[in-house]
Amino acid sequence: MPNHSNHVGFELVCVIVDFGIGSKVLHTAKKHGISGGTVLLGKGTIKNRLLEFFAIDDIRKEIVLMVTNKETAKEALVQLDQKFKFSKPNHGIAFTTDVGHIVGSSSCSSDEIIESRGGDIMYHAITVIVEKGNAEFVIDAANEAGSKGGTIINARGSGIHETSKLFSMEIEPEKEIVLILSEKDKTEGIVNSIKNKLKIDEPGNGIIFVQNVNQTVGLYK
Amino acid sequence: MHVLVSKLKEVLFAVLPITFIVLLLNFTLTPLDGILLIRFIIGALIIIIGLSIFLFGVDIGITPIGQMMGKSIAKSNKLWIVLIAGLLLGFIISIAEPDLHILAGQVDLVTSGLISKESIVIVVSIGIGALIAIGLARIVYNVPLYKLLAILYFIIFALAIFTSPEFLAISFDASGATTGALTVPFILALALGVSAMKKDSKQSEMDSFGLVAIASTGAIIAVMIMNIVYQTDKMTGSLDMHHDFSKSIFGPFLHELPKISGEIIIALLPIIILFLVFQKVSFKMSSKAVRKIAFGLLFTFMGLVLFLVGVNAGFMEVGIAIGQSIASLDSKAYVIIVAFVLGLVTVMAEPAVHVLTHQIEDVTSGYVKRNVVMFSLCIGVGLAVALSVIRILVPGLQLWHYLLPGYAISLALMYFVPKLFVGIAFDSGGVASGPMTATFILAFVQGAAEAIDGANVLIDGFGMIAMVALTPLIALQVLGLIFQLKSKSTLKKGGVEKDAQSF
Repeated sequence: MPNHSNHVGFELVCVIVDFGIGSKVLHTAKKHGISGGTVLLGKGTIKNRLLEFFAIDDIRKEIVLMVTNKETAKEALVQLDQKFKFSKPNHGIAFTTDVGHIVGSSSCSSDEIIESRGGDIMYHAITVIVEKGNAEFVIDAANEAGSKGGTIINARGSGIHETSKLFSMEIEPEKEIVLILSEKDKTEGIVNSIKNKLKIDEPGNGIIFVQNVNQTVGLYK
Repeated sequence: MHVLVSKLKEVLFAVLPITFIVLLLNFTLTPLDGILLIRFIIGALIIIIGLSIFLFGVDIGITPIGQMMGKSIAKSNKLWIVLIAGLLLGFIISIAEPDLHILAGQVDLVTSGLISKESIVIVVSIGIGALIAIGLARIVYNVPLYKLLAILYFIIFALAIFTSPEFLAISFDASGATTGALTVPFILALALGVSAMKKDSKQSEMDSFGLVAIASTGAIIAVMIMNIVYQTDKMTGSLDMHHDFSKSIFGPFLHELPKISGEIIIALLPIIILFLVFQKVSFKMSSKAVRKIAFGLLFTFMGLVLFLVGVNAGFMEVGIAIGQSIASLDSKAYVIIVAFVLGLVTVMAEPAVHVLTHQIEDVTSGYVKRNVVMFSLCIGVGLAVALSVIRILVPGLQLWHYLLPGYAISLALMYFVPKLFVGIAFDSGGVASGPMTATFILAFVQGAAEAIDGANVLIDGFGMIAMVALTPLIALQVLGLIFQLKSKSTLKKGGVEKDAQSF
């Protein structure tokens, strides 16, 4: 049994890259000690006047989620950065957040929930879940408050009162998840802007939550 | 600018192979007329630009409209709305499809006006409308696709017994002709819009495909019924194959431009009107979103017009010329090999194929990669064109000698392959036979038929599209089998371990 007094701590590594590179990221990460991961399809936004005018400002992205212990995460992030050059503009971003508890991964097992450590946190990850079609407004609201962009993921889900049936098919309302990274001091402004614009306070309009980010690669001021 | 570059790259990879093959043929087996060659290269350039713009347009224009319509139809929760909306949508979209009018015109000609162009256009459109209504009802009532397809093809086989051989070719061609570059993305999006709401994600994934396949059986059944009712068992007229090669370089392009623009406006009009009606009644989108869709429709129009002008003015005559001169070579092996290679590279440049492969990748979250699907399609269509040429070379070989075993195999495969691939495969049959095949490859086959003694341009010309619509059914279902075998073997190796590690 591992020594419980020696907390290892786990991190969720999240990498956002252009479509088609996700599998390569996963492959490289596995070489450096990460045992597995999940790839999602998302949509990113780009800032370019011309493209915005012609309404072709969407770009397909892949999001790779991987859980591992802190040491491996740090090492893997360095290796990934070297290979995929996140530090250059438009090559993608990567960040890690704390994971409290993990079940079902043989390579990182833990018996107790580990408190997230304090320390100097520079960035926050803001996750907003809204009805399908509203993600654009979330991004707009966030940009107004100083955010640099975001990633949209299609999803399905519902609150306790929402599942219903049409004909013989059970349906679940479609949602969109918006993932935004923000500097610590801008987080409150962004969250407030989204909250006011989309009336998140009222029931049924969506949820927002904020997580601390430990490490980032590929973000610019 | 990254988006533009990546889209351009995708299109370059699609169009360059066919350009390269034709140039290679020019310098080896079939030297082409200088003017033809220059026009071909200009055509290829226009196609590259047109296809890129078109694909953007579909992404932000046609697909969102189709998806939202599918969604609002299903949300009505009333069967009669689903049926009537399906019937109407299918009817007006296919009646505006330029390919259907061309096919109907040919049928009018070969039956010496016994079956008029108008009647065939209307009957086929009703057929497609009815089947789209059934297809939508299937999705909302969770009826498995393979069961419905089995019933539909049983009806087709039964009707085929009473259909004359010539009309057999025309009716199967109709299935390919009616699912054109505009209809396919729209029908695909319609199905996706309904099925994306499903709670069961496996079911939702499967039901995103299959509606194109169901719609195209509507066209087959409609033409067969017309033939049985009118009892036209002889083709009396003849297709006049006059092609006096124009000597000017830009002339054909300028000649095609207004004609095609008109056709595409008519084809897009029903989609625009439907969108405006739905927007008023149920979508109620923000002006920003409407603006985006308006741009999408504009891109779709510009892209498709450029693409078709390039194909018609730049590629068609080259197809005839290659077909003729290769078929007159002594060794008949050449024409078969060239047919295979041309089929292989042509399907890559087919607009609807790009739309379908992207949708497959999106729906399966990248599990089924588009290159794999594209590769199987290429092999399938290559074989289809080669088999069509063999049919012209061997007098005794008839179309049903291919179609009967072909459809028997693909229907049997339905019961073994993963059900997701059944939908993908049957959809891709309608998708592969788009404008590129219908002009370039058809011209090639007709050119070859002219040069071969004893071949009838008319009878042998029909049926080629039917083959292109058939072989992908088998090719992609075989791909499904391979996927199944692969995932089984990795499960056996260390399923538990693997599951535990991919958190």
